[in-house]
Amino acid sequence: MTDQTTQSSYKAESPALEAWRMFRRNIPALVGVALLAVIVGATLYGTFFYAGDPFEVVWAPHEPPGVTPDFPLGTDYLGRNLMAGMLTGGGPTLTVGAAAAAITMVIGITLGALAGYYGGWVDNLLMRITEFFQVLPALLFAMVLVTLFSPSLWTIAIAIGVVSWPQTARLTRAEFLKIKELEYVTAARAIGARNKRIIWRVILPNAMPPLIVSATLTIGVAILFEAGLSFLGLGDPNVMSWGLMIGANREYILDAWWPVTFPGLAIFFTVFAVSLIGDGLNDAFNPKLRER
Amino acid sequence: MSTLLDVRDLTVRFAMPRKGLFGPRPWLEAVRKVSFSLEKGHALGIVGESGSGKTTTAMAAIRLTEAAGGQVLFEGDDLLSLSDEQMRAHRRDVQLIFQDPYSSLNPRARVADIVREPLDLMDIGTPDDRRARVEELFKLVGLRPDQLNLFPHQFSGGQRQRISIARALTTNPKLLVCDEPVSALDVAIQAQILNLLAKLKSELGLSYLFISHDLGVVRHVCDDVAVMYLGQIVEHASRTALFESPQHPYTQALLSAAPSLARRKSKGYVRPLKISGDPPSPINPPPGCAFAERCPRARDICRKTPPVLEDRGPGRVACHVPGPADA
Amino acid sequence: MSALLAIEDLRVTFNTRYGQVTALDGVSLHVNAGETLGVVGESGCGKSITALATMGLIPMPPGRIAGGSIRLEGEELVGAAPARMRGLRGADIAMIFQEPMTSLNPVFTVGAQIAEAIMLHQKVSPDQAFKDAIALLDRVGIPSPDARARDYPHQLSGGMRQRVMIAMAVSCRPKVLIADEPTTALDVTVQAQIFDLLNEIQRDFGAAIILITHDMGAISEMADRVAVMYAGRVIEEAQADDVLDFPQHPYARGLIDCIPALGREDHALREIPGVVPPLHLLGAGCAFADRCEHTNARCKTEKPLLAAHGHHPAACHAVEEGRI
Repeated sequence: MTDQTTQSSYKAESPALEAWRMFRRNIPALVGVALLAVIVGATLYGTFFYAGDPFEVVWAPHEPPGVTPDFPLGTDYLGRNLMAGMLTGGGPTLTVGAAAAAITMVIGITLGALAGYYGGWVDNLLMRITEFFQVLPALLFAMVLVTLFSPSLWTIAIAIGVVSWPQTARLTRAEFLKIKELEYVTAARAIGARNKRIIWRVILPNAMPPLIVSATLTIGVAILFEAGLSFLGLGDPNVMSWGLMIGANREYILDAWWPVTFPGLAIFFTVFAVSLIGDGLNDAFNPKLRER
Repeated sequence: MSTLLDVRDLTVRFAMPRKGLFGPRPWLEAVRKVSFSLEKGHALGIVGESGSGKTTTAMAAIRLTEAAGGQVLFEGDDLLSLSDEQMRAHRRDVQLIFQDPYSSLNPRARVADIVREPLDLMDIGTPDDRRARVEELFKLVGLRPDQLNLFPHQFSGGQRQRISIARALTTNPKLLVCDEPVSALDVAIQAQILNLLAKLKSELGLSYLFISHDLGVVRHVCDDVAVMYLGQIVEHASRTALFESPQHPYTQALLSAAPSLARRKSKGYVRPLKISGDPPSPINPPPGCAFAERCPRARDICRKTPPVLEDRGPGRVACHVPGPADA
Repeated sequence: MSALLAIEDLRVTFNTRYGQVTALDGVSLHVNAGETLGVVGESGCGKSITALATMGLIPMPPGRIAGGSIRLEGEELVGAAPARMRGLRGADIAMIFQEPMTSLNPVFTVGAQIAEAIMLHQKVSPDQAFKDAIALLDRVGIPSPDARARDYPHQLSGGMRQRVMIAMAVSCRPKVLIADEPTTALDVTVQAQIFDLLNEIQRDFGAAIILITHDMGAISEMADRVAVMYAGRVIEEAQADDVLDFPQHPYARGLIDCIPALGREDHALREIPGVVPPLHLLGAGCAFADRCEHTNARCKTEKPLLAAHGHHPAACHAVEEGRI
């Protein structure tokens, strides 16, 4: 025994526990968790403390916030209760965002990984399909999908997923092209690992950092996309969402700033919290950063 | 003594981008009809400069690069004609060590898992057996059991190379391909790894296919040496024969170019044999001997007819005018 | 005798995340005109920092020259005005780097790059500079220099690119040429060509060469004098033959016995155990103490100084005390 260790002793822990230990020390990520917890908590349980129908016209239109104690956030252009809209609209918004991001990641990573790993005709075929989806005008295509299959939260989520995966696929492919040339991938082949294992267990974990960042951005984009569809009247009209609130009140922004600003801020803070968490997760699962 | 590996007419081609949309696809012949054999318990060094095809030859021989032709008989079985699943079963017998200890270990895996993975993949032994085997290997290559749960970046370059060696030894292979195993290491660490490889060879009866550009290292480790130039073996002989009385002018040029402690500036040495220029492109190899345009002994025949690798004295030489260097 | 370039007690520190570390701890070196000084050591020993300090290229911050002097023909370079250093760099002191591909700008022809280097220091017309560039390419052994001068770096082989770097470095006939691992990225036959070329250029121009390398074989063939560095200090310095044949410091002995070099085959490879300690973990004693078989209590508490105890200067208590 000749070499010296850089670190004398090290306790074995489960990878998840160790990642949590790392995550716990990341202040921005903890802020993100707290922020998201407040947002999710408010959308889940807020109606227990503040009940109200977001669709019902209850007061004069464009009541400013902080004037009437019953309606702390004021009312919109029809005189509907904005506080009730914020609390009930969060759930659908977050669900659509998360589901759309999940669909995007699953399709994008699968196709990108296969194209990047196998190359040749597989790559050619998959990349032509990707390009086809990429040149489609995303909003228009989503509109067609939503109109074909009656608008519901799920059709909206699927429509958003189907139009946004090509970027993730390209990113995954680029990472795979780079990583598959590294020697530890050859080493995995040399010890008899099958392609399936190399793709999912060797290359993908190393390709994750940019993909996690991209996933957090996708959640944000999906939430905004949902807002856009709602604005065009293609959202589910029976379900209140932040996007629907922005879409409905956008025309009157010069008369009243608050009906648009509150859901806008909610979307902003959600996306912000998710990206802080994404960054933290990425660092926590990167062993190189652990002994800092 | 029995033959472990018998490579016959191994050829590897790489497709180059087409010129124009419908032009013919140019091929690069990285390895051109290479034949050699390796005895059990021996170390065969393959030396050559970059682009000589030495690494490609070894990678194709153990089917990590696709061969375009030839045979690779490993204990009598032609590895090139096996199905993928049959080849997987043979992987436990042929393992390799890489040049770069930084990119050859998965940065997201613990080193114990890296060393155990071959056993998991081939489903060898119980979990307890596997753990015991990993600890035994750690000891064998000079690492401590308390380092088992670390990640690769927590080790120095020399230690990483030890981990790489442990992983290669996990399944008790018969053949170890070493691709420049010390060239990325600091000189003081090279000796540690070379001594470890020598110890493993004698203790475990391993055979090595040892790829290196460093003649000093090859001379230290290998029993036989094959010199490659532009995808072909130009000389193949025992270590003593090759270093004491090289027959091919390229071998002689390599030996006179390699820095030597015997040549001192204070003694006003003059390099005995100088060659100029770079090797020709493998896309359009010259019709005759690939070395002809840099060779001090080249004649007309060298530029027209490619020489074949023939037995000559103690080894094999591919040269129209072989012989000792001019004094 | 006053040396052409004299480095005295040079101290360089860097601010890192481990706090301030001392990268060079009192390095003294000198080189005379027409002489080749080999500087040898493992990565991280301070060879390249010494070269960069001489060129005035230490990034500050995080680096800082904390003391000592660097004199070129008596002129102090430590603390010299940046404009003066720019005037010296490339003219009186030139440097060749390890990786010729990244040292050349990929979007200009090599002729234009050499011509630009010439015009930086000499008042000549662009046409004349380009002609001079072609003459230099010819001088460094590039065939058909007219055509090659109009090539871009990627069109040349590694050996050709290193020749271009040498042509650029010698364009103003520097007094000191620093070559930092100039052949590490090259094949052996090309390395031999570059070494022969450097020797020829030294003969013709009379330049002093500082050759930084980890390769004892290269030292043997190229160097007149050798300085062995370890952990930011010079631990042995003497004529090349003395260091190669009678190394004093245990590290220098180890370095020579651990390489399977040609011309010295009949020995078992001796290992130097362990690795170079990180600079932030250096203690009060000898930096090599943890890897040395001759260590005693004094080695762990007191840094040995470079002084002639036996055959030639070495920084080692064991040599001083006659224990080895």
